[in-house]
Amino acid sequence: MARTLAMFTDTSLCIGCRACQVACKQWNELGLEQPEWTGGYQNHAHFTDKTFRLVRFVEEPKPNGDLAWLLMSDVCKHCAQAGCLEACPTGAIYRTEYGTVNINQDVCNGCRYCVSSCPFGVVAFNEQTGTATKCTFCNDRIHNGLSPACAKACPTESIQFGFRDELVAKAEKRVETLKAMGFKEAQLYGADSGGFLGGLNAFFLLLSKPSVYNLPADPKLPQRNVVVDSLLSIGSALVVGLGALLAFRERGKGDN
Amino acid sequence: MLKAPGWEMSIVWYFFLGGIAGGAYFTAAIADNFGSRRDSAVARIGYLLSLPLVALCGLLLVVDLGVPSRFLNMMRVLKPTDPMSIGAWGVGIFGVFTFVSSVLSFTKSESRAALRRKIGLIGMLFGFFLASYTGVLLSNTALPFWGDARLMGALFLASGGSTGMAAVALIMFLTGGTAGESWHKIERADRYTMIVELVILAVFIAWLGSAARPITTGHFAPLFWGGLVGLGLIVPLVLNVVGHRARALGVVSAVLVLVGGFVLRYVVVMSQHG
Repeated sequence: MARTLAMFTDTSLCIGCRACQVACKQWNELGLEQPEWTGGYQNHAHFTDKTFRLVRFVEEPKPNGDLAWLLMSDVCKHCAQAGCLEACPTGAIYRTEYGTVNINQDVCNGCRYCVSSCPFGVVAFNEQTGTATKCTFCNDRIHNGLSPACAKACPTESIQFGFRDELVAKAEKRVETLKAMGFKEAQLYGADSGGFLGGLNAFFLLLSKPSVYNLPADPKLPQRNVVVDSLLSIGSALVVGLGALLAFRERGKGDN
Repeated sequence: MLKAPGWEMSIVWYFFLGGIAGGAYFTAAIADNFGSRRDSAVARIGYLLSLPLVALCGLLLVVDLGVPSRFLNMMRVLKPTDPMSIGAWGVGIFGVFTFVSSVLSFTKSESRAALRRKIGLIGMLFGFFLASYTGVLLSNTALPFWGDARLMGALFLASGGSTGMAAVALIMFLTGGTAGESWHKIERADRYTMIVELVILAVFIAWLGSAARPITTGHFAPLFWGGLVGLGLIVPLVLNVVGHRARALGVVSAVLVLVGGFVLRYVVVMSQHG
């Protein structure tokens, strides 16, 4: 595997201009869709088959009663342990040599198991193509020496693209700086490769708790219970099978 | 935040019919191997029922795909820890067993009958698999309730067994095969299975706690409590127990078991419909 690539989204620098969201749409030729009323400036409410980058506009109440903007450009996390990839029965979802997670549109048969296996609700089903879709990390661009369209378009360097190890070091310094500036809740989300899901290849710097951004505090791999659940099913099979055996055996013995 | 897969009624039907197919087959194999000679009639019904049902299951699965023509892509990989992957393989392999067992259920040769019984013992494992893996498939998603339900597979298995036995009993009734001892045996087997299912369901709900709310409260609550727990489990169990000499009560019990099995799959799948 080549050196792992990553995107680091520093929400403290985001101004909510949505250049990333538009650039993503343009480059990936994602079609028009009906806008959604969310009660604020955010549109759409969540990722769809035509929205792979999405700027979240979170309004956080301040102690004095005012509201503070928390802006966050959200995207597929390209998890090191990816639920969608584990769930895919066709091998359409694969990991690239750069560590990103991709869906091969020519192989996906639209079973939709990955849709419900993403801990972040990223993967979306496209009714027109009948396949599952999500951010590709601009697979075509990174294989031609370019940065993803969203990172390229970001005017404030809120979205940074590069080698993962370098970006993590940069992000850690940035958190220290922000804390010194008084942002007490500043924290990294998914930067730690020893943390949840083996680390996220698209990780974030948040200015508040993950839950404020509608992010799970401790996302888990959905497939972690396959063995336990299977063993419990086998136990059930033994009991039910034994019951049937007893029912058919009891008075049947003398017949032979 | 999280997304439901948006599976439609075809998946509810698949889960329901797959449970019957698996349950009917393993009941047949058990009757064939451990019952009396007369129980081979029960075994034949079970084998012959599982064959068309599993064929229908395959069809439902293919039709539900976003790109049905790519259904064979499931055979590109075999992931042992992925319920969707081994499920696709399991349905196919189980289909082969139901076919062979069905063909052999007509044999008059004792050596072929012995072969059928041996094949039944192996095919039975795939029957258990088909009845339960759909539950494990749901319980290994990121969605609340589904992903929290450690006993989903165990519950589906008991329900599959019970509905499979009920379906076999109904066919025995419709084909006039209720006179002998076999009828009482299938009734008894279903009684035991219903008791197991009731116990598992109680633990299932208790274990889930507040995570069970999507089915125990709100929109699906009447269906769950009335359709599954009441009409689909407790009433047929009582009818089965008190009416073991009255065939009519046994038949009503079997019909209600089938209704309950369908309601279970329906409330579980539809409560997370995106």
